[in-house]
Amino acid sequence: MKVSDVFSYAFSAIKLRKLRAGLTTLGVVIGIAAIVALLSISEGLQDTITEQLQTGFATDTLIVSPGTSTGVGAMGQGGQMGPVDFHLLVNDTQAIDDIENVTMSVAIVQKPCYIKSDKREFMIYVVGVDFVKYANIYSSTFVAESGEIPSNPENETVVVGKRVSDPWDNGTLFCDVNHAVEIIWTNGTARPPTNETCTRHITAVLKEIGGFGIGPSDNRVYIPISQAQSFFRTDECYMIIVKLENDDEATIESVSEAIREAFSGQVSVTSSTAVLDIVSSIFSTVELFLGGIAAISLLVAGIGIMNIMIVSLMERTREIGILKALGMKSRTVLLIFLSEAVIVGLMGAAIGIASGWGLAHVVARIFGGGGGIMPPGNQAAAAGGMTITPVLTPTVFLGSFAFGVIVSVIFALYPAWRASKLKPVEALRYE
Amino acid sequence: MMSVTISIVETINLRKTYMLGKVPVNALQGVNLKVEKGDFLAILGPSGSGKSTLLNMIGALDKPTEGKVFIEGVDVSTLKDNELADLRRRIGFVFQFFNLIPRLTAKGNVELTMAILGLGKSERRKRAEELLETVGLKERANHKPAELSGGERQRVAIARALANNPKFLLMDEPTGNIDSKTANEVIELVKRLNEEKGVTIIIVTHDQQITSQTKRTVQMLDGLIIQEQVN
Repeated sequence: MKVSDVFSYAFSAIKLRKLRAGLTTLGVVIGIAAIVALLSISEGLQDTITEQLQTGFATDTLIVSPGTSTGVGAMGQGGQMGPVDFHLLVNDTQAIDDIENVTMSVAIVQKPCYIKSDKREFMIYVVGVDFVKYANIYSSTFVAESGEIPSNPENETVVVGKRVSDPWDNGTLFCDVNHAVEIIWTNGTARPPTNETCTRHITAVLKEIGGFGIGPSDNRVYIPISQAQSFFRTDECYMIIVKLENDDEATIESVSEAIREAFSGQVSVTSSTAVLDIVSSIFSTVELFLGGIAAISLLVAGIGIMNIMIVSLMERTREIGILKALGMKSRTVLLIFLSEAVIVGLMGAAIGIASGWGLAHVVARIFGGGGGIMPPGNQAAAAGGMTITPVLTPTVFLGSFAFGVIVSVIFALYPAWRASKLKPVEALRYE
Repeated sequence: MMSVTISIVETINLRKTYMLGKVPVNALQGVNLKVEKGDFLAILGPSGSGKSTLLNMIGALDKPTEGKVFIEGVDVSTLKDNELADLRRRIGFVFQFFNLIPRLTAKGNVELTMAILGLGKSERRKRAEELLETVGLKERANHKPAELSGGERQRVAIARALANNPKFLLMDEPTGNIDSKTANEVIELVKRLNEEKGVTIIIVTHDQQITSQTKRTVQMLDGLIIQEQVN
């Protein structure tokens, strides 16, 4: 029997029981849709995060932070992963600047403060940096949308991120250029600790950066570093950002090593490539996990296929007897049953991929639309404001197609084999 | 010089024992039968005499417990699964309960036999139409079995059985499920096939109308042939 005839015969059997075939296919559809939706969202999320990390974290920079951990955790809000008696100081940049291949370095002092306008009050991180050097390193993100970032900062100047100025992303401004804001912080050295206050004028609002990174953020208030040092009564810095002459792997390696040596191994040096590697490895694990969960639903669908085919085998025992009496070979009977599974698998995979893709967009829209309602300072605001564009890679596309068909065929093997082994005379006698 | 003619069907000391639960049933107890090309043979006998079992053996649908079945001199017991399937393609079966595939049209059912043989679509279609015309069902070709009368269904079954130019036609009580008027038409058709086209026919029946039309009759009882008669 020709392959086309085998398929058309199998298709006529499926057509006869549309509801049953539809429900069996639905199992595959759900399994494949779950796989495609989960994987395309996580691919999209990874792309978004990677892209935003690359934006907010120039590839020719290194992050030096206190502590010996080399992971992302070393750059956490506390930044204090290593020995507690070691502190990274603002003037440590001088030692780093002397290292070969280093263009410049900039120290960052950071402290959670309250910022108050005539409208409201928010908790936020106030960052002290050298505006000129910082703008040089992050030339694409530390850019004013309105006002001007002062090149020779007056002590009274303040630069704010987009979300500080427009926290709800709807034009209702919390503050704007030339507005005065009050910065309130706690002086921890006083006994008992006291709140201190100063009032400053905003000279620039940064253009929207989106997402997150180690570099400039939409949710920060920037003040000159000398001011930060005097306000917070510290020379200790949160981290030092090092700009390299190039982003070659060798340069990154040699400078990282030199910095670690200069600080006797008490600092951790993280490159953007290392962070991206970590992100990518985390996502691989997450994708494997999500894919695994989705695959379970496909296995359940497979059992459904097997169940239905065994029922179908019993109902069609007599038909198989007739086919064998007409001279159909066992192999062809096997192929007919497997073809039915292939058809169910193909249809299920095709519909599943389409609906999974649609589902991914719906989910992405729900996630993406959640941003902008939270006040600045809240980390979720940054993540919530991201737009995730689901990505369907050829591997996921072809993989889910193949997986759908293969699972269907595997679970159909046993019923198909049983059908092919029926003895014609017994099958014909079957009531 | 002597010429040796090979019988189209020959059974030698054919025995078949079934297990009905734990009880062995001797359906055939040593049947010797020869059928020559062009023969029109009726096998008669009461229910349980082994007629249908014999027919299944001749049609290579079942294997004997003992003895041999030769189809054109080939010992069926030596054939493998695939070879048996090939052999069945050259045997035309007509069953008492028609055994048509319900979801296929009359033409589809006739074409199916040829599809199994691997014939192309246009060739199949053309031959199916010719065969349905032969059995007088040209106008009903696109109807499904459920839309056909018993007699029409049986004629579709006959057309299907003839599709692959079989060596012989095996019919298991072909008129058992149709009214006497339609049965007459079927008998006429079968007789015409034998007389005009030289098709060898072996027919198991209770129907006296049929036995009066056949060339030869064998009578079975308790798994044995007890009487042979040339009409």
